[in-house]
Amino acid sequence: MGIRAILSSHLPNGQFGRHSLCLAAVGREIMKLDTSGLESAASLFGASSELFDGFATAPSFELPVTNDFDGFQKEAIQMVKPAKGTTTLAFIFKEGVMVAADSRASMGGYISSQSVKKIIEINPYMLGTMAGGAADCQFWHRNLGIKCRLHELANKRRISVTGASKLLANILYSYRGMGLSVGTMIAGWDETGPGLYYVDSEGGRLKGTRFSVGSGSPYAYGVLDSGYRYDLSIEEAAELARRAIYHATFRDGASGGVASVYYVGPNGWKKLSGDDVGELHYKYYPVMPSTVEQEMVEVSGA
Amino acid sequence: MSIFEYNGSALIAMVGKNCFAIASDRRLGVQLQTIATDFQRIYKFHDRLFMGLSGLATDAQTLYQRLVFRHKLYQLREERDMKPETFASLVSALLYEKRFGPYFCQPVIAGLSDENKPFICTMDSIGAKELAKDFVVAGTASESLYGACEAVFKPDMEPEELFETVSQALLSSVDRDCLSGWGGHIYVVTPTEIKERILKGRMD
Repeated sequence: MGIRAILSSHLPNGQFGRHSLCLAAVGREIMKLDTSGLESAASLFGASSELFDGFATAPSFELPVTNDFDGFQKEAIQMVKPAKGTTTLAFIFKEGVMVAADSRASMGGYISSQSVKKIIEINPYMLGTMAGGAADCQFWHRNLGIKCRLHELANKRRISVTGASKLLANILYSYRGMGLSVGTMIAGWDETGPGLYYVDSEGGRLKGTRFSVGSGSPYAYGVLDSGYRYDLSIEEAAELARRAIYHATFRDGASGGVASVYYVGPNGWKKLSGDDVGELHYKYYPVMPSTVEQEMVEVSGA
Repeated sequence: MSIFEYNGSALIAMVGKNCFAIASDRRLGVQLQTIATDFQRIYKFHDRLFMGLSGLATDAQTLYQRLVFRHKLYQLREERDMKPETFASLVSALLYEKRFGPYFCQPVIAGLSDENKPFICTMDSIGAKELAKDFVVAGTASESLYGACEAVFKPDMEPEELFETVSQALLSSVDRDCLSGWGGHIYVVTPTEIKERILKGRMD
């Protein structure tokens, strides 16, 4: 007996099993994306602007060379599993816009980070929130920031929140169905006052005064809606936002970490606080020493 | 998420010097939503035998009720408590009975056997026993738990030190898991006393 016997019982023909290598003929043709809706994006990615005679020769992203493009996409999406596990909220009130978010990143059940920055600073007077795929949100927010700055330089005035959210929504719409996962709120202050828009990767864009996005949003809405008044002061609004995020982190498994609160006013945004929700819990609900029925006393000696 | 991760759980049992500790988290959830933060996962069968059940909560409760029934019958017939090794074999047999429609639970058994020697073991959902000399873990955070226990374990720890070690391992592991945590519940059992403590943890 021994190792030799075990090996031979696995492979009766005595050889190591031959693996049939399926080298499928890899299609050399590159898939052509319709990029007519992405003119400005195409020119940003270094494709030379002289070649305007064929949009198809200037795709904005390289696509994988594969036989089964749809299957490949599906597999890739399943692997990344964007589950929008987060809680973000924003609301407009008398003094401006309050934006708050948690800081947990989760992959299924595993917490990959407790310190993710989910409130993205697009420019000094506009904020975006992150929900969904982290890479998607980070990239497209930065792209939006670039576009806003270009607009400022070209038109000698700041872009409005309406315009910025429209830019983002149009980009996301053109990638609809390709697996991007973005659920964001664009909050800012422009000439018309405070502005708040919800934009998502399905192509939706909504103007509103109160939004919450993510798996913890039902819990946040409960606290936010019951405590909201238009004429809150800045401190009261910050406390409402903080409390709403805290309650969402308590009930939702995919939210947690640090509750960050930002305020957007006429002079731009300002970070107000970043409190660890573990400590917030014991601040809101301190542990009362319970009444002791039987107390064990140390007996000296034996 | 799989059926084992539906409710979320975390369990550790660790051996010390003539004592053992068994600890669990306190969360009961339905996938990502937290329903309760005081869920009982560790059960006492007699003063020297404890069992924790991780996995699907409904199966854990049913399995516990079945085992309590069998243990009480044993106590009536034999007029003594069941030894931990015997109990482990009983659990294993009960789980294998349902081989083709199993209970979605992973038990962790901890007890003091003859001569006050601590005994711990865990099983998979169809009854494969794994006896260990140092620690056993179960639950949704099991990989984190293995790592944490491996890092802090020392043989022959006294009860107080064992309590600190197990608490740290449990809390730091569940802080990396969305589905378990919200406090901790730990029993430290020596031949003369059982100390039950609730741990203050992160509630997110």
